[in-house]
Amino acid sequence: MSDPLIQYLAIPLAKIVVILGVLLFIVAYLTLAERKVLAYMQVRIGPNRVGPRGLFQPIADVFKLFAKEDLVPANAEKFVFMLAPLLIFVPSFLVWAVIPFGEAFTIGGLTIEPFMADINIAVLFVLGVSSIGVYGIILGGWSSNNKFSLMGGLRSAAQMVSYEVPLGFAVVSVLLMAGSLSLVSIVEAQRAAGVWFVVPGILGFAIYFVCGVAETNRNPFDLPEAESELVGGFHTEYSGMKFAFFFLAEYMNMLLVSSLAVVLFFGGWLRPFPNVAALSFLDVIPPFVWYLAKVMAFIFVYIWFRGTFPRYRFDQLMAVGWKWLLPLSLANVGLVALGVLLLGS
Amino acid sequence: MTMREFFGRLFPIDLFKGLRVTGGYFFRRKETVQYPEKRLEPTDRFRGMFGYDSERCIDCALCAKACPIDIIHLVDKVEVDPTTKKKKKTITRYDIDVKRCMFCGLCEEACPTEPRSIWMTSKTYEGAVYERNEGLYFTKDRLFTWEGVKPFPGVIAPRDGQLPHDPMGKKAPDETTETPQAGESEDAA
Repeated sequence: MSDPLIQYLAIPLAKIVVILGVLLFIVAYLTLAERKVLAYMQVRIGPNRVGPRGLFQPIADVFKLFAKEDLVPANAEKFVFMLAPLLIFVPSFLVWAVIPFGEAFTIGGLTIEPFMADINIAVLFVLGVSSIGVYGIILGGWSSNNKFSLMGGLRSAAQMVSYEVPLGFAVVSVLLMAGSLSLVSIVEAQRAAGVWFVVPGILGFAIYFVCGVAETNRNPFDLPEAESELVGGFHTEYSGMKFAFFFLAEYMNMLLVSSLAVVLFFGGWLRPFPNVAALSFLDVIPPFVWYLAKVMAFIFVYIWFRGTFPRYRFDQLMAVGWKWLLPLSLANVGLVALGVLLLGS
Repeated sequence: MTMREFFGRLFPIDLFKGLRVTGGYFFRRKETVQYPEKRLEPTDRFRGMFGYDSERCIDCALCAKACPIDIIHLVDKVEVDPTTKKKKKTITRYDIDVKRCMFCGLCEEACPTEPRSIWMTSKTYEGAVYERNEGLYFTKDRLFTWEGVKPFPGVIAPRDGQLPHDPMGKKAPDETTETPQAGESEDAA
């Protein structure tokens, strides 16, 4: 095999397979983790019947979802109804092309970068592509021809739009510190600075995470779904694999927001205090494990939130977004810019 | 908006208080009982399935009269012994339609025999059946042989000095397990 063939075909294909496989595996087990953690917080045990300690539950769930009847409502807009799950599903996978999982390493003379692409507008790419997902929700809600679904879709549109603004500003504060839009460069900037960006950017991180929870439609911002008032919101009418697509996308987005938080604020694959030589024994743990551990910590916080907070009312949601997070994030950008100017990054 | 309110919203400490509560519950001992493998033991005053003893029953039908929803169906016939000319009542039917029973225990209270001929066992609660009309209609024979039926005593409402394990005061006092409270030991013995 010639070199370009390996470099431009075999390695990327292998990477795609590995990344997708690992992601799907993690997403499948996130559903179990969520049910388990929620159960533990409610003094229950959670699923424990399928396999040892319930470990095969996700597999059983997948088979169940495949076997379910795929209903399309009689008065639904058929094409859009089919399109909506794909519109939310595809972007949630697409963004993983630019998320860096670790440093480049060498196996058998081949240097492998554990990410698909290091493009110089990665942050923009992530924000842009993940925003396409909202179309899936709106179209799904509208094409179902159901009041509840439409309400869910409309809510989600309003929520996504209003929370994307402070989220963007929170990310800008990181960009000011790192001086780059490439996610790999952002992590490297944290190594050069010797400190994770969460320390100078704690306010930015808080804003980012709150907005991230809102962007993924999770508690306490799950108004688009709101099963207690909207019977499931935009996916009320979806069943079988189409519902599974929404479900998968939600968990992929959770992973994405967590990953982005780790990359932007928590040093990506770096160990804590990457420049302190006394802690170099921590390098035994490979970078990917550091990365995964941090992401999983965020996922736990997500589920913790779900187990703790009641849902916001819609006007409260808007008030928090526009009256608190937006001014705060603007002030944060100003503060960080001032800090970068005075301290010279 | 006062300054206090403003800073309260700016630094939402109460949110973290909430997180601490649920985080504490995460490590708590779980309440779930893995039912088919482990079972809860009902208390001695629990009103479970019926027990019926046709040997003790004197066919007075007080239980049927006491039943507020008339689900106890009792039929008897009088036989005259041809040699001694003595009349003898025998119960031909004693049916309880348990699917309508509300387990009030009035039949047990009404029963004049001692020990009771009809009682509510205290440790049986698995009365679920697949077909309610047949499965929950208990005739005399079924009541007598019902698997969950335990021997008396089930426990009736406690009177003064009555021990829950020994409602009629018939058991021999057992110092190792029972710790009677002051004034109760003489009555129970």
